[in-house]
Amino acid sequence: MTDLSDERMALISILAEHSPANRIGRTQVMKFLYFLQVLRDVPLGYRFTLYSYGPFDSDVLADLANAEGLGVVDSTVIQFSGGYGYEIRPGRNADWLRERAARFLQRYRPDVDWVMEKFGSLKSGHLELVSTIVYVDREAADNGEELSLDEIAEIVHEIKPHFSHDEIMNFARWLNGQDLLEAAA
Amino acid sequence: MSDVHRTYEIRCPIHGFVALNDWEWNVISQPAFQRLRRIRQLAWTDYVYPGAMHTRFEHSLGVMHVATLLYRAIVKNSKSILTSELAYNDTGLERDLQLVRFAALLHDVGHGPFSHASEDLMPIGEGGKRYAHADYSVAIIRSELRQAIEEHPLNDNYRFQAEDVAALIAGGARRSKHSVFWRDVIDGQMDADRMDYLLRDSYHAGVQYGKFDLHRLVSTIRAVSYDDRAPRFGIAQGGVHAAEALVLARYFMFTQVYFHKTRVAYDIHLRGALKELLPAGHFPRPVDGELQEFLAWDDWRVLGLLSEGKGGEHGARLKTRDHYRLVFWTPEVPHENDLRQLELLKGRLGGLVVAEEAASKSWYKTGPTDIPVVDDLDETIVNPLSDHSNVVKNLESNNQVLLYARHEDVPKAEGIVEEVRENDRSK
Repeated sequence: MTDLSDERMALISILAEHSPANRIGRTQVMKFLYFLQVLRDVPLGYRFTLYSYGPFDSDVLADLANAEGLGVVDSTVIQFSGGYGYEIRPGRNADWLRERAARFLQRYRPDVDWVMEKFGSLKSGHLELVSTIVYVDREAADNGEELSLDEIAEIVHEIKPHFSHDEIMNFARWLNGQDLLEAAA
Repeated sequence: MSDVHRTYEIRCPIHGFVALNDWEWNVISQPAFQRLRRIRQLAWTDYVYPGAMHTRFEHSLGVMHVATLLYRAIVKNSKSILTSELAYNDTGLERDLQLVRFAALLHDVGHGPFSHASEDLMPIGEGGKRYAHADYSVAIIRSELRQAIEEHPLNDNYRFQAEDVAALIAGGARRSKHSVFWRDVIDGQMDADRMDYLLRDSYHAGVQYGKFDLHRLVSTIRAVSYDDRAPRFGIAQGGVHAAEALVLARYFMFTQVYFHKTRVAYDIHLRGALKELLPAGHFPRPVDGELQEFLAWDDWRVLGLLSEGKGGEHGARLKTRDHYRLVFWTPEVPHENDLRQLELLKGRLGGLVVAEEAASKSWYKTGPTDIPVVDDLDETIVNPLSDHSNVVKNLESNNQVLLYARHEDVPKAEGIVEEVRENDRSK
């Protein structure tokens, strides 16, 4: 476990509790933590890189597995037509770990609320898309590039061709309107 | 001029022959890649399993071979998804096979001496995160190997830039585009790296723990698309038990070999010795002006310095096989009470504990990377491997904590451990 593992596991239980449905899926955990680290500068220490399903760090799932093992969260598989998902809820030992990470959780609680307000209602497929837009934007910003929204959407479309250019543009415009993109001209 | 269409075969104890084209042959001939002959795959594991003397060089070739098997199987089994959802055509698929082969071949080129064992000596980079070997791999591809990748005549057919290979390893969005789909071959739950190292490490260590049915698994792998999500790697239902075996092989190899108590002790001593040997106590950064110095560090150099008596107390322990001894360990899956006992013991043992190591590993990650399994009778039904397999579902992560003492302090430390355990039992 990393030095931050208590804080990260406790944060996952908070995300589950404060999501609109009081439970959360695994894609949501991954993407919400990505947004917290990248858009809110919460120091989580993850190393997200891009996969076809968006920004991903296997350490998030390792933290989640550890949290399950310690009873900090409970996780069950749910079936739906044409696929499956997970429901994660706070576990019997969530409070125990939250006490150990109390200072961290208190400090970043407003950021959790912010992420929930902005992204809490998005479905998994759209979370993958929105986080990929942010990833493309930050990669360009880190390289000192300025891109138009259309250029960002075109890059994202090449990564995720199953989304239409228009659909990507809609989310890119929304993110830009929220002042969340850095490279967008 | 040499024949650019010539192919080569290299003997491999795991896969028989690994085939290379002239372009790949040129890349592996570069000093930065040849250096991997002088980087042992499993550090000082040979102090426990004497056969484990193999190197990153042969592993890297093996990963390229397995990546090719996986790539071809997915194209064979899932061409319609690749063409309809990722916009591939035959030319694109041929191009990306070469890209994936290079990424697989070079993903470990940035390892430091003794591989993972020295990774904690990599410096902290921008943003406060420690560099990892993949950061060095990417930097080496962009600099030392750039010319070999970009200027071979065969590249006139592909027009690759070294950056394309780097992007597939690092997850670069701008260059990877739809090729990002193949990142799971390089770094995922069923990646070529894992499939090769389990078989190879098992073979060289002389154990059977890492074995699984590679060819059955490969034959069932496919791209799976469901729920308006991006296509990802999955398997046909017939591959469930082969995938289970891969997960279990990893569990057994970690618990029996990689986390072996004495092997872990030698990682401690290697890190301690390297802190003494490295200027500033850590490796140079993977940046211009420092990368060359990093590349000068390999096992030979470290062994030479140790042989000269350098490396301080830890260097001497490595040289004389006088390792720290394990005096306390939690269960592999510790619960609240175990962690409380650990904290109590650490307080009681005080300075007798010279090292605390965490043997942490998640055997199988559910969630976005849970391997999707496609129903044999109805391809629209997709369920995760963790749902098909009780074994996989119930394998909890390893979070064992190990406490070590000096050889001479073992009786005293063990006395305190027994006292604390006895107190706990009597409560």
